[in-house]
Amino acid sequence: MRSEIQELWRFRELLVSMVQRELKIRYKNSAFGFLWSLIVPLVTVVVMTLVFKFFLRNGTENFSAYVLAAYLPYMFFQFALLDSAQSVLGAIQLVKKIYFPREILPLSLIIGNFIHFVLALGVFFLYLLAVWIRHPGISPFRAEMLWLPVLLAINFCLAAGIGLLCAALNTFYEDVKYFLSVILYVTFFLCPIMYFSEDVLYSKMVPEGQRELLYTIYHLNPIAMLCTAYRKVLVAPGPIKQGAETIAPIPLDWGLLGVTAAISVATLVFGYWTFNRLKWRFVERP
Amino acid sequence: MNEPAIHLADVRKEFMLSHSGAASIKTLLLWWKRRTLERDEVLRGVTFDVSPGECVAVLGRNGAGKSTLLGLLARVIKPTSGEIAVRGRIAPLLELGAGFHPDLTGVENVFFNGVILGLTRKEVAERLDRIVDFAEVRRHIDAPVRTYSSGMLARLGFAIAVHVDADVLLIDEVLAVGDYAFEQKCYAKIEEFKRNGGTILFVSHEMQDVRRVADRCLWLERGRIVDEGAPEELIPRYEAAMARPTEGL
Repeated sequence: MRSEIQELWRFRELLVSMVQRELKIRYKNSAFGFLWSLIVPLVTVVVMTLVFKFFLRNGTENFSAYVLAAYLPYMFFQFALLDSAQSVLGAIQLVKKIYFPREILPLSLIIGNFIHFVLALGVFFLYLLAVWIRHPGISPFRAEMLWLPVLLAINFCLAAGIGLLCAALNTFYEDVKYFLSVILYVTFFLCPIMYFSEDVLYSKMVPEGQRELLYTIYHLNPIAMLCTAYRKVLVAPGPIKQGAETIAPIPLDWGLLGVTAAISVATLVFGYWTFNRLKWRFVERP
Repeated sequence: MNEPAIHLADVRKEFMLSHSGAASIKTLLLWWKRRTLERDEVLRGVTFDVSPGECVAVLGRNGAGKSTLLGLLARVIKPTSGEIAVRGRIAPLLELGAGFHPDLTGVENVFFNGVILGLTRKEVAERLDRIVDFAEVRRHIDAPVRTYSSGMLARLGFAIAVHVDADVLLIDEVLAVGDYAFEQKCYAKIEEFKRNGGTILFVSHEMQDVRRVADRCLWLERGRIVDEGAPEELIPRYEAAMARPTEGL
């Protein structure tokens, strides 16, 4: 794997060019351009907030910020994986003609999506600022936000690992991309985006003694853990109001976040290893 | 004699042949029971050297293994066995700008193609004017290439490949592109490339092209080199064989 990384480093200029190309192409023929990266999540959040406030009687303050803090990372994850699954097949004409480290294809798409995600987070901070100016009170900017780069690094490793794996496998079995979209649909509901991780711990459906266990198992899913962590780090914890009930926020479980970090790095190593084993058979798949 | 630019020793390449088309659930399930994939030996022990500054044409019927040979030299596929050594930078000539993205402008595509062929962006910037002038697309260079005619695309693709200062140029079928005047320019450029010590390996069915630029021809038949020689002696033999009905193929 060491020689593969050295080869990738030798081709870093190509990786940079591919990322630039990706960023340029995406909204090339649209008038709003990058704004589309924001319009979709913003509309989703407005709809979710309205539905939760008026139909599901969720009275939690700052609910939109909670949703955004988890939904933006999830969107990055979703688009990065779906894009990279198609990356090799989409460029097969190039792959058949020219030598370059093949991992540049999925990696450039994952990095491109990551840059969009970071820009969207910038807008998230502007949103916090706007809310603060309208409703001056306690500052929404907290010291915990300094953990954000760590979360971003973990998130990137996880997305890159699964992305490389999907890119390699989808080249031989295009079932992978359909399977992936089903999995991503299911994981959306298995992540604390439309609800709170506290809801899992205090679920009425589970007997008292087993709730802790369920909470732990739930957070062994690295994406769910990342969504919880983004929320804890980006939004000041406040009481969660569900109808007549009020739940106190639970602090971030650093141990579980450590497990997620380990899973993510292991996924990256495994994904890259698998990709390297398969990459010379891309052009001669039977 | 100095070290060869291209060296192949007993190169073999096998492909898996699938009869069920694209990978399906059926093949996936049957995979474990019986590996019915057939092996297809495309190259069966190919050995040859090409000296720096030499231009070699590979002749042969469809399916003789010509494109596989170019793929191996471009390092796109790996040989099943044998030894391949290419000295210096290799530039495959992409047919009709296969590496172009339709929505990007000419300039953006030149940069991307230059980098993929091994230049740095700074090196592409230094060559940009020469490439654009050679391709004669100055007026359209800031327009998306989807608005280009196929002739313009071919010219730009050719211009990039011959300006990256590769040591070895690999050409599959398209040697000269465009109208008569531009073709002459392509030939002149290829001559210049050879004079500067550049090596060319090309595949063509156009015997006129072969006569014009090749120093030597290799005749590939069912994965083996069956004959080789200077164009003027090999081409008549080759054409005579092609005129006969195919035997046992």
